[in-house]
Amino acid sequence: MSELDAAIQTFVQEADELLAEMELALLGLEDNPDDSESINSVFRAMHTIKGSSGLFGFDSIVAFAHEAETVLDQVRRGQRVIDGTLISTLLNCKDHTSKLIEHCLTEAEQELSQELKLTGESLIKQLGGATTKQESMPVEADSKRGSSETSETEGDTNGNDWVILLEFGPDALRNGMDPLSFIRYLKTLGDIVDILTSAPDLPIGEAMDPESCYLHFKIVFRGNTDKQGIESVFEFAEDDCEIRIIPPHSQIEHYLSLLAEPSDEDDAQVERLGEMLINIGALTPKEVAKALQRQSEDKAESPEQAKPIGEILVEQQSAEQPVVEQALKKQQSVKQKIAAEANYIRVDSEKLGKLINLVGELVISGAAMRMMVDRHGLSDVEEVAVSMNDLVSEIRDTALELRMVAIGETFSRFRRVVRDVSNELNKQIELKITGGETELDKTVVEKINDPLTHLIRNSLDHGIEMPEQRRAAGKPEQGTVHLNAYHDSGHIVIQIADDGAGLNDEKIRTKAIANGLITADQVLTKQEVFDLIFEAGLSTKDEASNLSGRGVGMDVVRRNIEALRGSVSLDSEPGQGTTVTINLPLTLAIIDGFMVEAEQECYIIPLSMVEECVEMSPEECEFDEIQHYVNLRGEVMPYLRLGDYFNNRKQHSNIHRESMVVVRFGQTKVGFVVDKLHGEHQTVIKPLGKVFEQLKGISGATVLGSGDVALILDVQGLVQFATRDKSRASIGLAG
Amino acid sequence: MSNLVVKGKSGQELAAGSADQFQQYLTFLVGKDNFAIGILDVKEIIEISNITRVPMTPDYIRGVINLRGNVVPVIDLSARLDRHPSEITKRSCIVLVEVETHGESQVIGMLVDQVNEILDIPQANIQPPPDFGADIRTEFIQAMGRVDDNFIILLAINRILSIDELSQLQHVVKSQNNASQTDSSELA
Repeated sequence: MSELDAAIQTFVQEADELLAEMELALLGLEDNPDDSESINSVFRAMHTIKGSSGLFGFDSIVAFAHEAETVLDQVRRGQRVIDGTLISTLLNCKDHTSKLIEHCLTEAEQELSQELKLTGESLIKQLGGATTKQESMPVEADSKRGSSETSETEGDTNGNDWVILLEFGPDALRNGMDPLSFIRYLKTLGDIVDILTSAPDLPIGEAMDPESCYLHFKIVFRGNTDKQGIESVFEFAEDDCEIRIIPPHSQIEHYLSLLAEPSDEDDAQVERLGEMLINIGALTPKEVAKALQRQSEDKAESPEQAKPIGEILVEQQSAEQPVVEQALKKQQSVKQKIAAEANYIRVDSEKLGKLINLVGELVISGAAMRMMVDRHGLSDVEEVAVSMNDLVSEIRDTALELRMVAIGETFSRFRRVVRDVSNELNKQIELKITGGETELDKTVVEKINDPLTHLIRNSLDHGIEMPEQRRAAGKPEQGTVHLNAYHDSGHIVIQIADDGAGLNDEKIRTKAIANGLITADQVLTKQEVFDLIFEAGLSTKDEASNLSGRGVGMDVVRRNIEALRGSVSLDSEPGQGTTVTINLPLTLAIIDGFMVEAEQECYIIPLSMVEECVEMSPEECEFDEIQHYVNLRGEVMPYLRLGDYFNNRKQHSNIHRESMVVVRFGQTKVGFVVDKLHGEHQTVIKPLGKVFEQLKGISGATVLGSGDVALILDVQGLVQFATRDKSRASIGLAG
Repeated sequence: MSNLVVKGKSGQELAAGSADQFQQYLTFLVGKDNFAIGILDVKEIIEISNITRVPMTPDYIRGVINLRGNVVPVIDLSARLDRHPSEITKRSCIVLVEVETHGESQVIGMLVDQVNEILDIPQANIQPPPDFGADIRTEFIQAMGRVDDNFIILLAINRILSIDELSQLQHVVKSQNNASQTDSSELA
């Protein structure tokens, strides 16, 4: 039972992936309807889902997927043009399929709900119809005829004739087979150009049995059919007759070209040579069965000398040498492709989480060991300790990398959102995606989805204007939403930019004053006004739509992102558009830290944010102790004396030597003044828990080798504080 | 041995079940006063270890400790009950309790001056808290337990260590902190 459950689990996962792929491909087709790769991928999704659902007996899915597959097959064969309406319908089909899968999982025994049934039926109708099973058959036959038709036209110039060799067995007549009737029936398929009758085995005189058949025929045949078609003529005679059908020369070329095409169905499986040849029509199932039988007979006789099936087929003259070779080549390439795919292993993310936790503990005990080695001055152990430390940090990096995924997949999901919303709003919007290969932790990816959806919906609804308005403003009618991601000093930056109307900061101000967020006489910088957007209960849209504009959301977005130790900011130019920038840490587990000490407490600064360390001495740089500014080689930046700040002291009384760590966050640089520098430290991030959820300036804690707890500084929070506190405008805000 | 433990446990459950049975309480000293909490709330009692201060938090948040690899906050119970912060002595202990909020449980340490004993108090001797007269917030008192001729205050752990409140107050303090910082720059 559990095995079946596991299998179903895999099925669901696979189906999900396939459907996501299908959606992507469909959306791609919208821009580029001739992209055969996309069409194939859509077809493949439906085809595979149909197949695997069949395995589990999910008949409702099979029935529905079949309809969609039929239509897609037509599209694939160029018999139906894919257009906007069909894409919409297919997208709905995709949604319906995932609903069906859900249904089959949760209440497989029950009937489909009325709603599901109705949707299914209406979708099938929309699919163009009444392409029910009966009608789909002729379509297939049509296409086959089509393929041989091409060969015939070519064949008029260079011998397009089938050669059929019939060697009737002696018992044929006794069994009621009349060779003549078969040949007559063959005529219904085409013309018999020539026929050669021979009787090589005919015994002379007495030995001849008048009731036996000794006739062999060589027929040159021209007709609109394929190998299978011809074979079916002799279906009844097969027991008493050796049949060999040699395709015309042009047909061989046709097979070769078919083999050269990228396989468009079942590409997840290595097709066996025979199957492959049957699929392109070069062989009939019977021929393959015969060859296989012979192979197994050979094997039974002498296992070493058993020939590969390809050779047997050629010997039997059922298939031609070049065709078999081509097929073998293709089989090889498919095998390689599958091998490449098989390089991926699905792993339960919980297992990965456990591994990473263990690595974290390893890092801590490694640090403890090093400390002991240092303390006891064990110089001979030190070398081992150092090399182990290096290994541990390598293991740590590798373990963390396991959880890294490209953000591209998350981005692509929004194509659908953009498409649906723009249709709903009658806007023309294009989604541009760059930096999709940027990697970040899977847990972060999962949690970023909701905020991103919200921000994109905002851009679509509030940002991009109606086409008329855009035209009036001298912009192209089609608006653009640009999703971008890149790495920046240990963070990942995600940007959502639109070229819409932009934000009106006056309007935000008025709203904020009306809502009591600020007072009318407060002076705010533009950036601070935009920050108000993220406060609860503020929406600039006058009327709420069902998409956004109710004023709940941006505060939730900010909260979600801050829960990931990230930040979000917004920039806008009226008439030019709005850019929302999200800054996220790459991982939530282990970071490289830089340990400093202030007032006997150790603090960790994420190493990726540390720019440099300087000594706090007048020779190095100039200090303004009152304004808390430092002039470092001509660059002026604010600084924060950590000990004083954390202990809420206003007057600085320290006289011993201090150091300054220069950190950078985004464009801002700030100095942290500390008592001591301890250097690099592999830091396992431990959550501080709910009690400290609201604490700004500290983002987490870690356990040192000594067993003590050190706090990890939230550089971003501190930088904001250091810069904001120094600017005069913020006095009003804080008050 | 394991049998013994199981027996002890079921015995306790029995006690909790019926009204005229005893219930066990852990008593400890904060300042000069004796307090008690239900024994079932206590996860473990540990010796004082190195407590790391967390900056920008109110007095009653003493800091965080490393409990077998997990970072656990420690509340100074004396400060939480609006008294002076505790001084660490040889007898100081951390009582670890588990508090549940919104379905998630969190271990919190309480710094107390001395752990005394485990008392059996019959259900009949448990009385509702007085409306006034105690020097601590009445909502922090779950009940009064009579032992001989004395009353012991049974603390309402879920109120005292309410995570919502702990993190809220911190917010208030932080903004005060902000304001004072602003003052300083204004002065300058």
